[in-house]
Amino acid sequence: MPAIAVAVVVGVLFFLGYRYYSAFLADRVYALDPAFVTPAHQLNDGIDFVPTNKHVVFGHHFTSVAGAAPIVGPAIAVFWGWGPALAWIVLGTIFAAGVHDFGSLAVSLRHRAKNIGTIAHDVISRRARTLFLLIIFFLLTLVNAVFAVVIATLFVANPGAVIPIVVEIPLAIFIGQYIYRTRSAALVPSLLGVVGLYLLIWVGQQVPIDLAPVAEALGMDARTLWVILLFAYTFVAARLPVWLLLQPRDYINSHQLFIALGVIGLGMLVGWNTIVAPVVNDVPEGSPSIFPFLFITIACGAISGFHSLVSSGTTAKQIDKETDARYVGYMGAVGEGSLATGAVLAVTAGVVATRADWDALYPDFSTASGGAVGNFVNGVGVFATNLGVPLDLAVIFAAVVVISFAATTMDTGVRLQRYIVQEIAEIAGWHKLARNLTLAGVIAVAVPLAMALIPGGGDAGYTFGVLWRLFGTTNQLTAGLALTVIAVWVLRMKRNPIPQIVPLVFLLGMTTWALFSQFWDFVQAETWSERWVLAPLDAIIFLLAIWLIVEAVMALRGGAERRSYDEMGTPIGDDTTTPSV
Amino acid sequence: MTMSVVLVRPWTDAHGGTGCCSGDARDGICLDGPVDGAHEHDAEVGLVAEAYLRLREELPQVDVQIVGSNNTAYLLPRVFGTVRRRAGVLAALRETNRATTAGSVLVDGMRVGDITVLGVDGVVDEVRRRAGVLSD
Repeated sequence: MPAIAVAVVVGVLFFLGYRYYSAFLADRVYALDPAFVTPAHQLNDGIDFVPTNKHVVFGHHFTSVAGAAPIVGPAIAVFWGWGPALAWIVLGTIFAAGVHDFGSLAVSLRHRAKNIGTIAHDVISRRARTLFLLIIFFLLTLVNAVFAVVIATLFVANPGAVIPIVVEIPLAIFIGQYIYRTRSAALVPSLLGVVGLYLLIWVGQQVPIDLAPVAEALGMDARTLWVILLFAYTFVAARLPVWLLLQPRDYINSHQLFIALGVIGLGMLVGWNTIVAPVVNDVPEGSPSIFPFLFITIACGAISGFHSLVSSGTTAKQIDKETDARYVGYMGAVGEGSLATGAVLAVTAGVVATRADWDALYPDFSTASGGAVGNFVNGVGVFATNLGVPLDLAVIFAAVVVISFAATTMDTGVRLQRYIVQEIAEIAGWHKLARNLTLAGVIAVAVPLAMALIPGGGDAGYTFGVLWRLFGTTNQLTAGLALTVIAVWVLRMKRNPIPQIVPLVFLLGMTTWALFSQFWDFVQAETWSERWVLAPLDAIIFLLAIWLIVEAVMALRGGAERRSYDEMGTPIGDDTTTPSV
Repeated sequence: MTMSVVLVRPWTDAHGGTGCCSGDARDGICLDGPVDGAHEHDAEVGLVAEAYLRLREELPQVDVQIVGSNNTAYLLPRVFGTVRRRAGVLAALRETNRATTAGSVLVDGMRVGDITVLGVDGVVDEVRRRAGVLSD
């Protein structure tokens, strides 16, 4: 089947989801009211709270939620076949992610644009705020660990990508300084930055950087050395002002996002590549089962709890009319689902020409996990060759795009992790840690570094596959917490919470099932890292999941009701103060 | 037709992050202010905020938006499309680039100045003049 035909069908389904299901949610479940005075109007300060055109808000929201993460999960999950992977992406986007992203925004609008963690404190319990921070701590730990491994693996596999990525750092700083000091327009310098980056691809191809000899001299493999170097870099980068490095690199990346999307779409159209992977793969015995593991392997792209952090607290402060929440929130989820669809097509139609070739790339789960990002890169590379780009350059181009996004993910992830460490320290009463940026930064780097270096990775990427699944579970738990908050709020408004409860129950079921199953495997394993690192980590996340289920059940049964609402769904009384947890 | 004014945020008023699990989520996490956290803002943000609030108050018939210079998904097609219809492709390309200058004041897609040069009063007067409303 031509990949472009599948893309069109998915596009139509997403359109129908937006046209009909989001309209149902807006009218019957969230009861959006165009006359409601949004926080942007209530608290309009022209700085954080600004009533803004919905297309402006969507531009900001979309670039905050669409990136590298929806690429990796789908590229692994096609191991079970492209049919189940795509079905979960489509159904998840329409019935789970859309409900979640849109609902997070809607509930935040009715709570003065507070974030989901704070609203959890209000509508579930005082403990829920602590639960939220702990889940996010593990989510960010695993994000930083897996993306360090992703970048290191791509550097080892594509040594030609090293120079472009490394030089992009001073290039971005130079461009940022030029724009800032001279008050120049940002577009042309950043486009020149993209051109410079792509010229460096040719340089990188001529001068590939292979750290294997250095790593060998240090008694480690090249991937391990890259992981250590990456965390050393992010420790420094996360201390720099956002506008110095992150902002100009984001700017360059935003151009790359649209270039990559164009290459995938046009390449598929011109090349008319057909999907050679099986619809449902007959996986080898001993592989992780499709239930529950597919549903935590693809988190971003089907439903991502991280979106609730962007929707609430940030995007909610800029919504002009409450009815705009439907477009901004639901379409953000659709945008991410579209990226995930592109990833599925790249690794099933782009990367290989025959079924036998595909079977060689996905023979077992370990190989599928370890090679997933490389397969995506090669797939996009093949789409680019349809547009006349030589294959070797096209592959490095795709690697540079993915690494650029992954590097930004790490930069921001470590920065956000530092905030979380400080927040948790403040709650725990460790005020010195809460105010010590260096110490908080060391913790934010050391914990994921330790996770990324857990032995057993090797070329097959076993540990990476496990870490990715644990990342998926924490992301789904974040979504579960947000869905609980939304469901409780909807219930207290005396409206039907079934659209939230169905995905909530499904996610919590899959998550706890996967965690329990993995825990059993870890404690029976022979390696110390599985028994003494991964098993306790899995157990902690499992306990957080159980805690969340208890809180959700109590809240939904009304046992934790602590706040009254007016008929508009807004809390009665002063809710502007910071809760003490 | 409603006049459109866009005030472009300062370069240093950046929110970090691109993409799922690394996007602009600081306000989604932190709890250090009365309503989820005070930002560390560049002083120039104050100028943009003041101009925005005055324009909303004094010229309610004008559509005023504050946009980050990094919001390319909105800024580039919007400015290009608006200017191209009135002044052609070359002018549209030029104005699209100029629109990404931090501190820009855009009126119907055209860059009419820099807020640090015009000042708040200057911005309000300029918009008032272009809207055809006599100044006091």
